[in-house]
Formats: sequence, C-alpha cells, structure tokens
Amino acid sequence: MRQQYARRTQVLTSVLGFVAFAIIVQMTRIQNSAEAAVFSQQAQNYAYELKTYYPDRGEIYDRNGRLLAGNKTVYEIGVDLTTVRDAHAIAFAVSSELGMDYNQLMDAIQNPPEGISYVVLADFVEAQQALALQELKKALQEGAAEGTMGGLTGLQFKSHPHRSYPENSLASNLIGFVTREGRGYFGVEGKYDTLLAGNAVQVLVPTDPNKAFEIPRVSNGTTLILSINRDLQASAEEILDNALSTYGAQGGTIVVMDPRNGELLAVANSSRMDLNKFWDYSTIYYDQDHQYNPAISTPYEPGSVTKILTMAAALDSSTVTPNTTYLDTGSILIGGVTIQNWNREPWGEQSMVGCLQHSLNVCMVTITAQMGASTFYNYLDAFGFGHLTGVDLDGEVAGRLKVPGDSDWYPVDLGTNSFGQGVTATPLQVMMAVSSVANNGRMVVPHALYAMVRDGRQYNVPAQFAGTPIKEATADTLSEMLAISLEAEASQALVPGYRIAGKTGTAQIPVDGLYDSTQTNTSFIGWGPVDDPRFMIYVWLERPSESIWGAETAAPVFAEMAEKTILLMDIPPDYIRQQLVAK
Amino acid sequence: MNIPNVNIPNVTHYIHAYKVAPWRIQRQWIGSALLAVVALAMVATLYLIVTSRAAIAGREIQDLTFSINASQQVSGDLQTQLASLTSASAMESRALELGFRPMKSDEVEYLVVSGYTEPEPFILSTTQNMQLSALAIPPEYNQSLLDWMDETISSTRGMQ
Repeated sequence: MRQQYARRTQVLTSVLGFVAFAIIVQMTRIQNSAEAAVFSQQAQNYAYELKTYYPDRGEIYDRNGRLLAGNKTVYEIGVDLTTVRDAHAIAFAVSSELGMDYNQLMDAIQNPPEGISYVVLADFVEAQQALALQELKKALQEGAAEGTMGGLTGLQFKSHPHRSYPENSLASNLIGFVTREGRGYFGVEGKYDTLLAGNAVQVLVPTDPNKAFEIPRVSNGTTLILSINRDLQASAEEILDNALSTYGAQGGTIVVMDPRNGELLAVANSSRMDLNKFWDYSTIYYDQDHQYNPAISTPYEPGSVTKILTMAAALDSSTVTPNTTYLDTGSILIGGVTIQNWNREPWGEQSMVGCLQHSLNVCMVTITAQMGASTFYNYLDAFGFGHLTGVDLDGEVAGRLKVPGDSDWYPVDLGTNSFGQGVTATPLQVMMAVSSVANNGRMVVPHALYAMVRDGRQYNVPAQFAGTPIKEATADTLSEMLAISLEAEASQALVPGYRIAGKTGTAQIPVDGLYDSTQTNTSFIGWGPVDDPRFMIYVWLERPSESIWGAETAAPVFAEMAEKTILLMDIPPDYIRQQLVAK
Repeated sequence: MNIPNVNIPNVTHYIHAYKVAPWRIQRQWIGSALLAVVALAMVATLYLIVTSRAAIAGREIQDLTFSINASQQVSGDLQTQLASLTSASAMESRALELGFRPMKSDEVEYLVVSGYTEPEPFILSTTQNMQLSALAIPPEYNQSLLDWMDETISSTRGMQ
C-alpha cells in the first residue's frame, strides 16, 4: 500500500514537474521569438509620446494690476475624416454658424490631400460660436436613433489660448500686438517677445503611469508689469483727441513720464488701433508719415522747447548767468543768414529769464555764438541728441544732429539748432534730455517696464541714468528761471496751486526744402511741482489750424493733462506739501 | 526471584526511528516547499498591490496634470473676460450712467493723515506658495520592491 502511494506520488511529481518545465520552456521560447521582438518594439513605440509644450504667453499689466494683455480660449474646428457620417450636415452647420462658404467646406471634407485623416475647417473661432456648434453636435447625437451616430459625428474641437486685449485700443502704441503666429510686433510685445512667449519644449512624455513624475512642468511666458497707469493713459488719449478737434491738428502725442526714474506713465498718440484687430495695421499705418508710435519713431524739428537745452549749456559752461543781459535788436546775422525773432520785432535789453519768457531766437543765437560750436554740440551730444534713448519699446528711431565736419552742416546751423530748427529728435529724446534739468542734472533713461514676474517671483526694474550732462546747480537755476518765465508770461500752461516749469515750442515745418510759416509743429514740455518733480509732460500737436503757436495750443493741453495727472497721482498742492515738510 | 531476560528495545532507538522515518522527512520537505511557495505568493501579492496602486496614482497624476493645464486656460480666459468687463471705457460709461462725473482739481480736499503711505505699484509675486516638484517626492512612492532591496543591500554593504 505504502509503495503504491509512493509510486503515485512519484508519477504525479513527474507530471507536474514536466508541465512546469514545459511552461518554462514555452515562456523562454516566446520571450526570445521573432514575434516577441516585434511586440517589444511596438510596446516601446507606445511607451513614450513626443509632445511639444507651448507655454501660455505672459500677461501684461499696468502698474496698478489692471490687465492690458491676456489670453483667451479660442477653438480650432476640424473634421476627423475616418469617422465622418454626414459631410453635408457638417458643412451646413459650420457654414451657418461661422459664416463660411458651404462649397469650400464640402470640398475640404470630400477632397482632402492624400493621406490626410484630419482637416482643419476653421481656427481662432470664438468660444461662443464653438460652444453653439458643440451643443448642436450633442443635440443631434441625442436625437439620433439608437445605435446610430449623430449628423455631426467627426466634427472636432480643440481649444487653445490666443492673445486678447481687454482694453482694445488703449495704449495700443505702447503695448504692440501679437499675430496669429504668436509673434509680437512693436511696443512691449515686440521688445519683450522672447520673454513673453517663453520657450517651447519638445519632450518624450512617458505613457507609463508609473513614470508620471517624468511629465515636464513647462513654465509659462514671463508676465510683465508696465509702469503706465491705465487711468492716466485713458485720460491722456481723451485729452489728445479733444485737442485735435479743438485746435484742428492733424496728429499729436502726449507723453507723461516720472522724471525721477524715467518710468513712462502714459504714452498717447492720435493714431491708435484696436489690438484685437491687428490686421488693420496696414490700413492705419500705411506710410512713413503714419508711424506706429510717433513718440519714439517720428523725429521732428522740436523748435523752441530745445531752448531749454541751449540755455542749460550756456549756464553750465558759464557763458551766461540768469542776470546776464543783452540788447535784442530783433535780428542777428550768422553764417551769412539773418535770424529773426518769432514776431520779427526787437525786444530791447533782456535778461536770460526774459529770453526764455519771450522765447527769443536772437538771444539763443547770440549765446550759442558766444559759447562756440564745439561746446554747444558737445552738450547736445551729452543730452542724447542723435542717439537712441534706449527705451524698452520696439521701433525706436534716433533723430539727426548735424555737427561741424558733416558734409551737410553749415555755420547757420549753429544758429538754427539753438532754437530747435535744423535738428530732429523724437518727443522721448527731448524728454530724456530735459529730464536732466528736472532731476538735478541726472538724465534718466525712459522705460515702460516696471517689473517682470517669472515662476512666482517678481523682479522690479531699477531706474537707469544716462549720465549727468549738467551740474545740479545749473539744473536748479534753470528750473527756477523756467518757472519764473511761465509765471511772468501768465502762460496757459500754469496749473493753480502748483508751481510748474516748462517751455513752449513752435517749429516751422520744412516743405520741399523751405520752411512754411503757415504749417507748424507746436509743443510744450513741462514738469512739476518744481521743488519735487513728480511728472514731466510732453505735448506735440502736428499742424494745428486754429493757431500756429505752441503757447495757444500745446500749452493749454499741457495744463489740462497736468491737472488730470495731479488728480490721478494724488499730488497735493504746493502749500499742503510745504506744510507737511514744515511739520 | 529472577527477572526473565526479555529483549526490550531501547527508547533511544524508537526516537531515532521516528526521526528518520521517510514519511516524516517527506513532510518536512513538502512543508518547507509550501512555506516557500506561500512566502513567494505573499511577496508577489504585495508587489502586485503596490504596483497597481502606483499605476493608479500615476494615472491620477497624469489626469491632474491635464486638469491643471485646462484649469489654467479657463482661469486665463475668465481673467481676460473680467478685465474686459472692467476696462477703462466700460467703467467710465457705467459711472456716467450712474450719475457720476469726473472730479475737478478744485473739488479735491487734501487732509494730512498721519501714518499714511503712498500705495506701492502692483505686486504679483507668489513666492510664498511652495510648489510640489518631482524631486520632492520620497522614493517610497515611486521605488519598486526590487529597487528598494537593491538599495538596502547596497547601503548595508556600504556600511560594512
């Protein structure tokens, strides 16, 4: 009995052992078969997926955190040709909802290129329209007989972000725009395109859930905080639009800057575009006379506002003092050409304050001649004339400063340059130069970027200075002289309760090589409060028809803008500030 | 009285016979083999459970990653919509509809408020929010049993 049991056990063990051995042999055979290699290769093909991650473009805010440029969801609508059931229904639905041509849609669905299984019918479709189509697709699917597919089966929706500008045309000249290809043009969008766009990353993403931690985290583009104040920008644009209509000007620019650090607070131009309709660009800015941002890209002869710089050079080089007098005879000969005052009249004995107050060309030519060409042009060069300001906006152009030795420089240019004719500069170049007078001799570099935010960290942009072209004492003296001259003139640029320094400018426009006395560019540059400047405003009106004089057109616009700036920046009147200082 | 000479087997011999009984040795072998099989089955079951849980967690991470991306897109969209509704022109027209008008400079009264500081420009920094990174996940959550054993053996050797 025991032997029989033992034999059965041995047989059973042998059978089981054989089966186990057979399984092992089979497993080994399968693992090393030719098919196994194919399957293994197929598995590896599906183990990783090559994906390109496009980071969301960084947002743009104003200094108070109001969104100026963001991203909204739009849809790509396409057709999966392998699952299409009713091409007519798809073409009809899409053409009705998106206003597209029915026949073109049918052709795209029925005659796709060879080897294509997915056709894009429309891209950048607004969410509302895409949602309506999605609802229709769902309704048709629900209404279809059981076991059958809905009429819009195969219609597919892919969402993706797209640049959107909630303020439409506000600050359009400063912000710039992004095309559908995702490239930034002009302004901040152009200048910081690489930063805003971020870096697209192409990586192998594992499909194995055990390797989920290998999924890359792609940082979005850098978010920018601009120095501009949205409300101040809106006011500047409104004031400029009103000024164009009041004075019959063909164009204009208002720039507001903090002269202490170069932060641009508002940049308004007359030609603006809705940034959500960037395709209008070519119809709005169609030639050289219609630049995207004239404040930085349209050099012009600024006229008498340049007298500030001439006087600064004369004071700084000790050529004159505020009390220096001269006898104004109404004209002066320089380089064989007679230069006259704006009213072609003599003004008799004048001090340097009177010279600025009455904006006398003869005075400027006189002191420039005393200073000498070398000194004068060295100062203009130090003030940044003929150079780019370095502002962080795309499309900046430097004006032209002819100097002795240039083939087109003539001795008369020394005279005309002293009062801002025969030399070109952009409004921002003039502001940068004059900032040295408002800022104790230090010249600031204008900039639009206040801070940038990346990966949750904010980096504030420090103020940059472009040298000290004049001494602090010169700047203080000249500021006082300009304030006195405005007060003595009872200028329309004055703002009640605040002491302002500034200067008007009226420049004749060269037409076919000759200056036309009926067409002028009128300007005003001013800053305040004089003892602690918080704002500097530049106003430029092109060819005003109501008056050709800066004192009657640009000066009152400056006053209006200054008043608004004071309100929005909460700058108390001088007597309140002085009380605070006294305490 | 004499005790008859009976051949009584030694107790030691019984014990020895019991120990070397073939059936007992067989049972010992079978028992050991079964113990090894059970132990292997337990380890395999444990490994299967851990692996399946890791796979589920991994799938959830994948889903959550996609959800985060989708949520960020929706958030950006809503933020832009909100900005449109509160744009300068929209707010101005709403204020005018409500009967407000722009303030004039002579209507402003300035008061000296002790301790008042001028508001600073916008701050977007969010550095206080720590972000979970892949490197911060402890190895227990993504390490296989074999990896763990290998690491333990290596570290033990290293200590010796």
